[in-house]
Amino acid sequence: MIVKSSLPILILLLLAGFRLDTEPGRKPMFFTMGEEWKLAIREREVFTFQSQDTLLYHSVSLLSDTTGNPLLFFADLETPVCADGECKLANIKIYWNLLGNYVGYGTSPKFPLTKYEHDPFDHDDYARLHHLLLDDNSILRRKKISDLVDRVPAETYKPGFGKVDGMSGATKKEIKEAVVDGGLYSCYTLWHLVHGEVKKQMIAYLESIHSEALNHYFLYTPYEDYQAYALKQLDKENFSAHTQQIISIFKEGSPLIRTYILKKMPVSVLNDQGVTAQLFGIFPSLDVNTKTLLIKKMDTADATAAQLLAKHVTAMTKNQLRNYLGFLDDNPGCLTPSVTADLMEITRSREYAYNYLIKVFFDNKK
Amino acid sequence: MEIKKLLTLVCLLTVFWQVRAQQDVLIEAESFIDKGGWIVDPQFVEQVGSPYLMAHGLGVPVANATTKVDFKNKGTYHVWVRTKNWVPGNWEPPGRFKLMINGRELETTLGVTPGWSWAYAGKTSIRSKQVEIQLVDLTGFNGRCDAIYFSQSQTQPPSSVKALASWRQDKLVENAAPEKEQTYDLVVTGGGLAGCAAAIAAAEQGLKVALIHDRPVLGGNASSEIRVHTLGIYGKYERILKMIDTEHYPNGSAEAKYDQEKRDRNVKSIKNISLFLNWRAYDAVAKNNTIQYVDARHTATGERIRFYAPRFVDSTGDAWIGFWAGAEFSYGREGVDTYGEAWDEWGELWSPETPDDFVMGSSVLWQTEKTEEEQVFCDVPWAMEIAKDHVAIAGEWYWEFSRNDLHQIHDAEEIRDHMLRAIFGSFANAKKLEEHKNVRLQWVSYLVGKRESRRLVGDHIFTFKDVAELRKFPDSVVMETRAIDVHFQRNLQDEAVPDFLSEAIFYRTEKYYIPYRSLYSKNITNLFMAGRNFSCSHIGLGGPRVMRTTGQMGAAVGLAAAICKKYNVTPREVYTHHLNEYMTLIENQQ
Repeated sequence: MIVKSSLPILILLLLAGFRLDTEPGRKPMFFTMGEEWKLAIREREVFTFQSQDTLLYHSVSLLSDTTGNPLLFFADLETPVCADGECKLANIKIYWNLLGNYVGYGTSPKFPLTKYEHDPFDHDDYARLHHLLLDDNSILRRKKISDLVDRVPAETYKPGFGKVDGMSGATKKEIKEAVVDGGLYSCYTLWHLVHGEVKKQMIAYLESIHSEALNHYFLYTPYEDYQAYALKQLDKENFSAHTQQIISIFKEGSPLIRTYILKKMPVSVLNDQGVTAQLFGIFPSLDVNTKTLLIKKMDTADATAAQLLAKHVTAMTKNQLRNYLGFLDDNPGCLTPSVTADLMEITRSREYAYNYLIKVFFDNKK
Repeated sequence: MEIKKLLTLVCLLTVFWQVRAQQDVLIEAESFIDKGGWIVDPQFVEQVGSPYLMAHGLGVPVANATTKVDFKNKGTYHVWVRTKNWVPGNWEPPGRFKLMINGRELETTLGVTPGWSWAYAGKTSIRSKQVEIQLVDLTGFNGRCDAIYFSQSQTQPPSSVKALASWRQDKLVENAAPEKEQTYDLVVTGGGLAGCAAAIAAAEQGLKVALIHDRPVLGGNASSEIRVHTLGIYGKYERILKMIDTEHYPNGSAEAKYDQEKRDRNVKSIKNISLFLNWRAYDAVAKNNTIQYVDARHTATGERIRFYAPRFVDSTGDAWIGFWAGAEFSYGREGVDTYGEAWDEWGELWSPETPDDFVMGSSVLWQTEKTEEEQVFCDVPWAMEIAKDHVAIAGEWYWEFSRNDLHQIHDAEEIRDHMLRAIFGSFANAKKLEEHKNVRLQWVSYLVGKRESRRLVGDHIFTFKDVAELRKFPDSVVMETRAIDVHFQRNLQDEAVPDFLSEAIFYRTEKYYIPYRSLYSKNITNLFMAGRNFSCSHIGLGGPRVMRTTGQMGAAVGLAAAICKKYNVTPREVYTHHLNEYMTLIENQQ
């Protein structure tokens, strides 16, 4: 399906001068996606970017599969890492996905990453670096290089232990927890290279090659950032056309993407009985924020939503229950004998903390 | 004096039913003469209906609260206690307590019924005129008592907040209007940094100022009761703000007490400020969109005062004065296109396509200490649903809670309680580890440290664009260099993360400015606002919500109030007619 729909992209990319990479040799040490790095056998330089720290320029390539479908951005970086006036070169091969999000890296055995005293990184150090690079909101993001170390004697505090005199010149505690021990400047330099100016250029490049086919690819991948990007591009008609895939994203996704889907879902989709059944039927397994939104969406869902939720009242918070009962108050037609029976059953439960609200609800109806 | 005040709260009402005379007595718990180890909690008056007493003992039962009440008639009384089980569920309720009457404990355990309600405590025989009543805490885990009602009738008091309010007024023989009236040049409600700065600035210009604050100490989130350090720059008001701000100690630090002493001393030293500590405003009435007065009540004695002034400052944080007076306000996150606040890098986490209620949350800070001996902390099964396997021995700013079914004002008690469960549960997990065996809880705040709630609408709504474009205004009265700092709950990205932890998104910026037009109400002619309830969008709040910046807002409106008085003009007319003089006055503060 992807191959078919990507044919126009392939032609476009071939015309644009993509070449077959004859020396893949880029096996990453860490990679968070699937097999994309293996499939990416074509490489083409697409832009250069300038490091804000070193002012050096680096080139970024787009990696594609055999048919020219774009898969990854890639850069083989060589950058100086400087501390206290001494600089060393760091070599690293970085992979980003097509949204410019870091997904992995590799190094060459000839050029291992090193720490202050030229000790090479060990495996745990490399893993820690990968973990750091995955964090796009790392504490390093908001720190200048001059903020990394306490240069002057300072008073430090330990929670609960009062005031303690601290040593000067040490990596600040909050930063130390995020970086490779002894590799502070390597981590800082690489994090800012990976998450700096280059991301904006990758996004701009993506926009230049974006197509319906690519959006389709994004929507049907298992990667949430791709799915979210694709969902954002969908208009009402396209939303309807991909309902089943969107429901499966809803089921598997994070609270953030679930709530986005619910907010964006057109009424014409949500009020389909089948869709209502699929969304409201999994109520207990959803996160709390999505549950709240789902209850708020009852008035635009199919009328069976009230019945479906009556089976899952014990999975509601107090305010969710209030909203649900408020809906029944406003829509007495939904308070069917079956819903009533389900609710009455819950009032007899000793497990559900808020069943007293249901009793009050029925008392007020007398 | 104290007993006299108490007596005003104790109603001796005689009714005739059949041929038998009956009596009832309502006792507001917060009016107990000796509160023992119980604390008065007035944070949720608008939802609960009254301040209440709470046994905040960090797991150690607190000393009994005691009071004495005169009964007109001897005889048998039915006793109800308004209380709640603050963690209903399949475990023993954590906040259990009992009632002792003339030294005899009633059998019924209280604090076990879900939701605020009247729990029947049993029957008691009253044989003396003066009756001693005690609250006996059983757990140290936040048992709460709002009121106690003795009646010779078996009729339970009303439950709904509305019916209860009028029943209370009836029982306490309260008139609609407060007994006392006072008049000032400026009435400032809310003694956080913004309110303190407003009061100082206005008083220094010769205005007679009433500063009404519902706590015993000033400072709001910066106080030693909440312990958030102040951030931001001083702008043009360094001298004033240094009287009330804090050092940059870690949030939650006991060091906060030194800045507390400084702040209280400085504000009390200013002769034109009449300070009303432990007074909580409960109403503001406007006529023709002009506030006539603010009514406030003492949080323990129930005494009331009506405050008249030509102008008012709303620095309550939750914008209560504006809300009661009918000022326009906003709540929640605006849609991204409302003010053009997109930041693609963060998408929905920054500003959503359509409006929603994922506001920044509230924090409850806490601290522990290491001792020489082993310290025991009991099991807290009622907390583990929240804490899960999280381990901690201290909190920080990112202990923060927001959820889209909870309103930061209406559901503040549930938010606070959720955080208490997070704290006690996480600490209980820590105590299972050998390394923490000598650690004990030193301090846990019971006050909700809010970041975001209602925002009053002014002539200008401060937004992301004002920061991103570094807009300068002819009426730039507040300036800031601190990044916009907007929080989201971590569990939005990963639901496995505990729901009480947040993350910050920083938008770094050069110096930006807030115009004076964001500091007075658009539709209430004599209302200033300073603090987190100033006129801004959700994102606009992200930077200036820190307390030196809100302090700048306070100082700016205090000075504007002086211009208002000098020319007898409205806050808006300071901008339209006296801007040069106002800006010069601000410039001269340095």
